[in-house]
Amino acid sequence: MELVLKKVSKTYGDLLVLNEINLNINEGQIVCIVGPSGCGKSTLLRLIGGLESPDTGSIEARGTPPPGCLNPLTYIFQDFSLLPWRTVEENISLVLEDHSLSAINRNEIIESVLQRTKLTEFSDRWPRELSGGMKQRVGIARALAVNPSVLLMDEPLSALDSQTSEILLNDLIELWKKQNFTSVYITHNLSEAIRIGHKVVVMSRRPGEIREIVNIDTDIADRKIRNIELEEHLWNLLKDEAIAAERELENG
Amino acid sequence: MGKKKYDYKPVPFRGSGFQFKNNYWISPVVFIIFLILWHVGTTIGFISNLVLPKPAEVLIAFHDLYVTGDLYLHVGASLKRLILGWTLGTFFGIILGFSIGLFSLVRAGLAPIVAAIFPVPKIALLPLFIIWFGIGELSKVNIILFGTLFPTIIAVYGAIDNVDRSLIRMGQSFNLSWFSITRKIVFPASLPAILSNFRITAAIAIILIVAAELIAAEKGIGAYVQMAGSLFAIDRLLAGIIILSCLGLIANWLIGFAEKKLLKWRNL
Ligand SMILES: Nc1ncnc2c1ncn2[C@@H]1O[C@H](COP(=O)(O)OP(=O)(O)OP(=O)(O)O)[C@@H](O)[C@H]1O
Ligand SMILES: [Mg+2]
Repeated sequence: MELVLKKVSKTYGDLLVLNEINLNINEGQIVCIVGPSGCGKSTLLRLIGGLESPDTGSIEARGTPPPGCLNPLTYIFQDFSLLPWRTVEENISLVLEDHSLSAINRNEIIESVLQRTKLTEFSDRWPRELSGGMKQRVGIARALAVNPSVLLMDEPLSALDSQTSEILLNDLIELWKKQNFTSVYITHNLSEAIRIGHKVVVMSRRPGEIREIVNIDTDIADRKIRNIELEEHLWNLLKDEAIAAERELENG
Repeated sequence: MGKKKYDYKPVPFRGSGFQFKNNYWISPVVFIIFLILWHVGTTIGFISNLVLPKPAEVLIAFHDLYVTGDLYLHVGASLKRLILGWTLGTFFGIILGFSIGLFSLVRAGLAPIVAAIFPVPKIALLPLFIIWFGIGELSKVNIILFGTLFPTIIAVYGAIDNVDRSLIRMGQSFNLSWFSITRKIVFPASLPAILSNFRITAAIAIILIVAAELIAAEKGIGAYVQMAGSLFAIDRLLAGIIILSCLGLIANWLIGFAEKKLLKWRNL
């Protein structure tokens, strides 16, 4: 599935948060969004997934979702958003229960996503018993269970320590190599964006506008751990914005 | 060059205290010491028999209650009113609390009324209830119903207001139905607050039943205590008070048990 954003704007009260965003999210591509704090990245993602509606402009989904897709636009959350009163397995089951699936079918799906996220042994644990990395694996497993056509991720790794997030980033890359999912991936971490993105969208400070879109042609499988040159280029784009945004917050 | 002398001292441990250990044997020991002091005090006359009877006399009062069948009569009457009133009050409280918590129209209509009635001490309504419902069972059940209803409504919709919005967002993002979100996210999230409110309403129910039975009743623990008081039978009075304390403890234990079963995801 492909997403097309045309002149999307959003205001909260009289605060213009997003200003005329035009963006294409192509099938099978990961689009990374970076930008200073408070520039409206999370807002943009909520608009894309239909959790909020834009004031002006349009967001279109083109193409049909894959067969067996239960929820085309699916989120992976920064704070995991697991239900503490459900075990790992039950948390995944939650998103399947509203669909008419046989119990056997449902268990097959759960087993399969647990395996893909290396959680099989932890299926009957409570969320409080898991480390942050494990919790986010559950979040990823839950998203995979509905066989989404677009994965919407808002800083999925930023609540984790750097080693864990490195491991999970690699897992996401492996997953993409197998499934070629379409994704919008918000991050603060430039090297993360360069590792996993086909496109890196750099946003300006509020009101959020697209400053530059950097295409990365190297195959995701062939990328090095770091690409200092590109990172510096992105940082130069962001630096002034970030400093200005920081000032704004300081002065109220 | 002389060597510097060092003074070796272990770092003192300062982290003790402010921490509860499980000392299961302490409370029975304290209880027994208390009984012994009571017994000795009343036997040697240090405590006047007009103030406190001997522990043995209270025991005899209990024995009398048991053999005459009055224990069953009084406790049974109070329990019936308590269980009926509390269950109805809690049931309607949860339904109304959920309606106020979930539907803004209901909230706009009912929340102000609830807020207005909630602070009225329900004991003050007792004379009114007796006029309305007579001095029989109905006024007693209703006063308990009323007394538990309002705290429950407020606790339930407060609990719903406090449900983590991000979890509801999550449910919406997976296209869960309104009913699924309510049943699988909102309800379990508010359950801890609802259960801990049970402790408060159980205590309120016991206060109200005693008050109602003190005023007008032939049966019930309140009536028994009232009779004992007017006869200056302190031994029976104390027996009644001990029964009330036991009722409270049992209610508390039942709620603790429910919490352990229903909220096992919280702690081990
Ligand atoms: N529901 C809302 N009501 C009012 N203002 C909001 C709301 N959500 C976000 N905002 C404001 O919109 C702006 C953009 O918020 P948003 O969360 O999208 O930024 P962000 O780019 O995701 O920031 P960060 O990098 O810190 O996550 C902020 O100034 C925020 O205060
Ligand atoms: Mg954000």
